[in-house]
Amino acid sequence: MTHTTDDWRGWVRHHLPKLVLSPSFAVTLFFVYGFILYTGLLSLTSSRMMPNFNLIGFENYSKLWQTLNWQVALNNLAIFGTLYIVICGLLGMFLAILLDQKIRGEGFLRPIYLYPMALSFIVTGTAWKWFLNPGLGLEKTMHEWGWTSFKFDWLINSDMAIYTVVIAAVWQSSGFVMAMFLAGLRGIDSEQVKAAQLDGASAVQTYWRIIIPQLRPVFLSAFVVLAHMAIKSYDLVVALTGGGPGNATEVPATFMYSYTFTRNQMGVGAASAMIMLMTIAAIIVPYLYAETREQRHD
Amino acid sequence: MASLEIRNVCKSYGSVDVLKSINIAINHGDFLVLVGPSGCGKSTLLSMIAGLDEITSGELVIDGEVVNDKHPSQRDIAMVFQSYALYPNMSVEKNIAFGLEMRGVPKAERDKKVESVSQMLQIGPLLKRKPAQLSGGQRQRVAMGRALVREPKIFLFDEPLSNLDAKLRVDMRTEIKKLHQRLGATIVYVTHDQIEAMTLATRIAIMKAGILQQLGTPQEVYDTPNNVFVASFMGSPSMNLIPATVVAHQNSVAARLTSPQGNELILPLPQPERYQTWIDKPVILGIRPEAITDMSSAEPNNPWVFPADCQVDVTEPTGADVYVLTTLGGKEIVARMRSNCGAVVGQKTPFAFNMAKAVLFDPQTENRI
Amino acid sequence: MTNQEVKASSSRFWRVLIYTTLIVFAAFYLLPLFVMLITSFKDLEELRQGNMLSLPQNWTIAAWIKAWGSACIGLTCEGINGYFWNSIKMVVPSVLISTLLGAINGYVLTKWRFKGDRWVFALMLFGCFIPFQIVLIPMSQILGNLGLAGTTTGLVLVHVTYGIGFATLFFRNYYAAFPTELVKAAMIDGASFLGIFWRILLPSSGPIIVVTVIWQFTNIWNDFLFGASFAAGESAPMTVALNNLVSSSTGVKEYNVDMAAAMIAALPTLLVYIVAGRYFVRGLMAGSVKG
Repeated sequence: MTHTTDDWRGWVRHHLPKLVLSPSFAVTLFFVYGFILYTGLLSLTSSRMMPNFNLIGFENYSKLWQTLNWQVALNNLAIFGTLYIVICGLLGMFLAILLDQKIRGEGFLRPIYLYPMALSFIVTGTAWKWFLNPGLGLEKTMHEWGWTSFKFDWLINSDMAIYTVVIAAVWQSSGFVMAMFLAGLRGIDSEQVKAAQLDGASAVQTYWRIIIPQLRPVFLSAFVVLAHMAIKSYDLVVALTGGGPGNATEVPATFMYSYTFTRNQMGVGAASAMIMLMTIAAIIVPYLYAETREQRHD
Repeated sequence: MASLEIRNVCKSYGSVDVLKSINIAINHGDFLVLVGPSGCGKSTLLSMIAGLDEITSGELVIDGEVVNDKHPSQRDIAMVFQSYALYPNMSVEKNIAFGLEMRGVPKAERDKKVESVSQMLQIGPLLKRKPAQLSGGQRQRVAMGRALVREPKIFLFDEPLSNLDAKLRVDMRTEIKKLHQRLGATIVYVTHDQIEAMTLATRIAIMKAGILQQLGTPQEVYDTPNNVFVASFMGSPSMNLIPATVVAHQNSVAARLTSPQGNELILPLPQPERYQTWIDKPVILGIRPEAITDMSSAEPNNPWVFPADCQVDVTEPTGADVYVLTTLGGKEIVARMRSNCGAVVGQKTPFAFNMAKAVLFDPQTENRI
Repeated sequence: MTNQEVKASSSRFWRVLIYTTLIVFAAFYLLPLFVMLITSFKDLEELRQGNMLSLPQNWTIAAWIKAWGSACIGLTCEGINGYFWNSIKMVVPSVLISTLLGAINGYVLTKWRFKGDRWVFALMLFGCFIPFQIVLIPMSQILGNLGLAGTTTGLVLVHVTYGIGFATLFFRNYYAAFPTELVKAAMIDGASFLGIFWRILLPSSGPIIVVTVIWQFTNIWNDFLFGASFAAGESAPMTVALNNLVSSSTGVKEYNVDMAAAMIAALPTLLVYIVAGRYFVRGLMAGSVKG
């Protein structure tokens, strides 16, 4: 093939779509995958306040696992993650099923359940911090209403503070899970429900035996989204408890930030970020793989 | 208006061959219909003519010029899509004018052309509407208008009537035919409907599994199908295909069929010299339902009409005619008789076989002998 | 009572129970917002004396005025208005650029398929879900090297970079359902690659543009991690300023001012939610159910 101007134009026309896509792809390769590699590399070095490339093998990782703060963070993530996912899932499904009973005013109630999702976690944290404030908030209100023995000091109680994070996070996200389940319920063929009724199934049986089993994809999606949000959660902890009292509500995200930027342990911080990434990848990658495979068939 | 030549065109996706060495040539003003069951490659071939699919090997020639590497917009073709593909955001007027606009035709000229096309298709009152506000038939007209206004060398139609209801489909079919006759345009038209193919085409290309089975005028493919597939695909009800044996008979050659009662039926064949080598060999006798009639409908002076009494299994009245079913050679066969022919189920009635219209196929290769 | 009546009354009982439950939960979701709102209209004295849940006796917007114009954040006492504008300056370009890029990427990935396009998309998609902690260290270095550390421009770059993935996902899924025959028809009509995008696809993309813009707006406005990491001091966005205001421990704690500031930070996204909630939900769904 000789390269005349016509060929050149043809080449451009042929490759224009790829050329247009390439900046975005290059940015992704560099800022996502390049950065992951770089952070991975740093996690193997003795970087402290500034990055250096003095390789020390997996020392940072073993240091990380011996750090008490990291153990607390993982422990908190386990408590927070489990409760957050389970409560959001159950509450979301419960509300969705109730809303699916041909409720008058559904169009009014649904947005109320969902609006916290539009708020910043910082706003949520600020609001709940005030609401749960032992001196001025809920506790005081109860006392004034005559329930003088009422005690609710979780926010400043090291053993209980992590549960306030659960409450605020559930408040923020459960409406969203409700919306996912509601969409799933609306997608179920109503003739199946009629058939189940003709077969003599009660409402509870219809849900338990016919409808809920069909919501499996929604459970899966909800789990993936919630687990991913739980592992990334940073803002809410910062705004609500600041990781305290003490280090009582430390989570991996806050741990990474403080070790990297305030405690000058960049190598350890990078190692913790790598572990967060791998945890999320273990959840997200199979899910994305399954989703894109599904699309290949249609 | 232009001629189109498809030379040894192949298409493969990876190791899958979708089209195998297709050769078709049509003259300017021809109406070529590509017909075949779904998956036969007819739509792919059309896409390749349009330039929307790449040609793996072979040449595509429009007006003597190889256009393989030409962009669709430079091939001077227009296409009517199955879904009509009207731009939802543009009014009917804009839809029709879009192709002209892209080619830099000045506004005044565009308006004039849109005007004349809308008159021809009687869609003047719809010009300001959006596609979503049109009925199926109206969309169809607009899609044709969009193609017509460009005055291209070749028109391509991709199953344009398949989304219309039965009545509208027949009307639009007539309209397309009229349009072709008026404009003398070169048209390539894809359909899976053999009636559409027969009524519209000047040339029919029948395809199956990526292979061109037969190319010819509607009459040719109807009367002398190349093989069993073409014979059974074209025509409704389709051609009777009866297992038979060629036998020597009164210094000539005949086909021997057996009835379920064990009776033998000897039907002399025209052009005996063609079948000399087939004597005493099994063949498939192909004969269309309208070539088997009652005695009074048969052509009285045709020496190749032979009567035979057969048992009537089923009668299917269609109003004008009645399809009378009997069994021969172990196969159910259909005869088309006058509705008052008096055939009664379970009784014998005389069938008149017009053997001038009969064809023979090799049962092994399924090709016509 | 007949059988029919028993059934009717028991079903009425269930209906009442369902409605009651739903309303109780509505109260649960509304309560923090309600408390935040009434607190912001009280004065400090009433906060200390009064009941958190009771309406203000003396409605005052003093807390709002102070939060906006004179509350102390860090060392300066000029309120949060500067940070509010920082957020606007950060959000508008980020949303526009990432949406435009997402649209054109989605167009290429669905209508101009090429070998390996699935891998390109999968790699971009995974970028949406990484914990951003993984990019904090190299990003702060790059921004430092580019001289963009602590600037709004730097934040725009960051948000565009990590916003492309979701925007591409939205448009890709939307355009996948867009009839490809329209693109072919336009090609035959002689429209160019960009001409088809501009004249055929974009005019029909209204809903998905709204969904993407809302999604990006909400995410970027609400972002805290990038803001806290890359934009210190004067150029910090709203969320960072709010957190600094609320968690500063100097002087008397003015909860009413905190709540007013929180309301100001929440208002833009709440407004979007109220005006276009339908599209907001669609974005949430598109960003999760179809990964």
